[in-house]
Amino acid sequence: MHAAQAMSFARDAVRVAIAIGALHARPALADVLPPMMDPDLPVHCARDASGFVWRIQCDERAKVCLYAPNDELDTDGNRTKPLERARECTVGDTFDRDKLTAAGYVMKPGRADAPFGWTRDDRGRVFQVDFDLRRRLYFGAAYSPQKVLENPLESTRTSFDFGLLVAEWTNHGENGAATRHRLHLFEGQVHVQPFSADVTAAHYDISHRWTDALLRITTFTGTPQRHDLVLDLGLWTEAGGLELRRSALGDSQLYKHATAQVTVDLWQSDDMESFLRFRTGGGLEGQHDDVNGYRSALTEASALDLDTQLDDKGFQYLRVEVSHEVPRYFTPYRTDVFVQRFRARAQYETIVLAINDQPLTLRLAAGGEKRNDIPGIPDKWAFVLDAGLRFNLWAPPHKRS
Amino acid sequence: MLLAASTAAAAPCTGESARGPFPTCFDPGNRLSVTAATDGFGGAVALRHEIHFVDEPDLVWKLEHVFFDTTYDGFRDNFDGTLYKGRFFRHARNGHIVLPFGDPSGVFLHSDIGAIFEVGHLSWRGMDPASLGIVKTALLTDVTRSKDFRTHLAIGPVGSWDVDLAPASVKVADHHIAPFSAGLVELHLESDDGLSILNVRGEAGTAWHTSGQWHSFALGEADLERIVLAINDRPIALYGLARYDSARAEATAAIGVRIVLVAKTDQRVSRL
Repeated sequence: MHAAQAMSFARDAVRVAIAIGALHARPALADVLPPMMDPDLPVHCARDASGFVWRIQCDERAKVCLYAPNDELDTDGNRTKPLERARECTVGDTFDRDKLTAAGYVMKPGRADAPFGWTRDDRGRVFQVDFDLRRRLYFGAAYSPQKVLENPLESTRTSFDFGLLVAEWTNHGENGAATRHRLHLFEGQVHVQPFSADVTAAHYDISHRWTDALLRITTFTGTPQRHDLVLDLGLWTEAGGLELRRSALGDSQLYKHATAQVTVDLWQSDDMESFLRFRTGGGLEGQHDDVNGYRSALTEASALDLDTQLDDKGFQYLRVEVSHEVPRYFTPYRTDVFVQRFRARAQYETIVLAINDQPLTLRLAAGGEKRNDIPGIPDKWAFVLDAGLRFNLWAPPHKRS
Repeated sequence: MLLAASTAAAAPCTGESARGPFPTCFDPGNRLSVTAATDGFGGAVALRHEIHFVDEPDLVWKLEHVFFDTTYDGFRDNFDGTLYKGRFFRHARNGHIVLPFGDPSGVFLHSDIGAIFEVGHLSWRGMDPASLGIVKTALLTDVTRSKDFRTHLAIGPVGSWDVDLAPASVKVADHHIAPFSAGLVELHLESDDGLSILNVRGEAGTAWHTSGQWHSFALGEADLERIVLAINDRPIALYGLARYDSARAEATAAIGVRIVLVAKTDQRVSRL
């Protein structure tokens, strides 16, 4: 029995050596990358006459078999270490080159398979090429390249931003219903020269995709038709917000203790990661400045948010937020104006490179603010531009849909 | 009898006595401890864990968390406490930089990377103004590329935001912001049995103050801990630390005792 198996193995080894070893010089070092094996198709492993193991994947439609070393290669094409993130494949005797050639298959050098979101270089070394920036820890620095308008909130300045944890995930329900959860912990940004800071200790919101229509309207003019009105309602909450501003009349601190809002998603991407939504609600806040002292308020707040990923692999993101807040002070401190705050922000973020599969992103942001709740800050729009880099930890590949 | 003997022999972190086995290794990264030292009384909760991947066995995320690390000296009314300190390292077999232009390509290096994230560091010295460190974060490059928690030598740029509070109030007097304009070097050495630990950390750079000026600063800290005995398998350690802070023009040193109240048993300790 053992002798028969040994003979069979020897025959296969010879076949594989002829099929692969003779054809394979140094494909890993070619200038043009050979094609990658499909991570969804089966991979066979076979040993050549020299004892080297090769990964082989045959495509029945194209009549092409790709082969690649089952190890990483050094710069000279010598095998060094086992492949990372490669599927297990056992060396078997099912590969028959003669049979495949007779069936019209062509043998071509390729790159070993890698999981979704990963690829390999010509030496078989794996690296990540798909990043989910909605699951990350980040921090970065930015620079405002120019003064846009003359205003206390604008000037040439640097900034520092951070996020301890961004975690977003989707729970899928029945019949296409789904809920997207977004948890952000300790996110913020600090500008220097002049100083301003925004920090939020905890943010959590959910978007839901409803499959049952909120309203079903039937029209009877002409052919009766049904029109479903789906309202994708959700919830938006924040706790522990802090806004610091500095003006000629002193410092201002705005403590946003807790905010809760109802959201209506006007648009959701299929995977629910991107959205356009309107939200409205209220919160409890306290504000202190050097002129008026401390005052508490219930604040009505509304906003329109766009958060979208611009490409499939998660390299580009766009976020836009336009918000309006009206604090209603328990003890009104001024009656001459209707106190309110407007804010508009747009941010484009793109991955420029990854270090050890941890992406470094370029962030371009523009923001504007108009408010009359802080003494010393003119009641007119102030704008600022930021360009900076962010380092991101975690950022795994997207979950495959 | 044979079974017990062979088990003890196979477990390098389990000592034997006539009354039964006892641990000789400890996990200093997973414990609730209190301290009594010449600079005050305190405590901390430390947790650390690893994340492994089935399809990439050489990739390890090493995550360390310390909560409520506090010291209070009631005689001099000195306080130093941090709400949360996190240190995260990603150890991989190969380090590399990926350039995502055209067909993504990799430039391969040899380094591990990671980060620290500290939130809520409050300190005061008697009647002097208190200082509140709101956030400190750093990108770290670990040149030791250790697969476990026992060693790291890391350097990297630091971003931080600190606040000086006005005397005898919680009003803000000054903000200091270092938008990655400072650098950090950190050394951690831990013996294989967890009985001895050495930490050295240095930080220097410039920070912008709301007064409108940039000021240079330097911080240095070193501490050495040695477990000398255990009571009911709860280790008790002697430790010493030295610290320098240029902002306060302060150099301090202290020695003390650290008592571990709750600890995770080192995985190498036999439970038989």
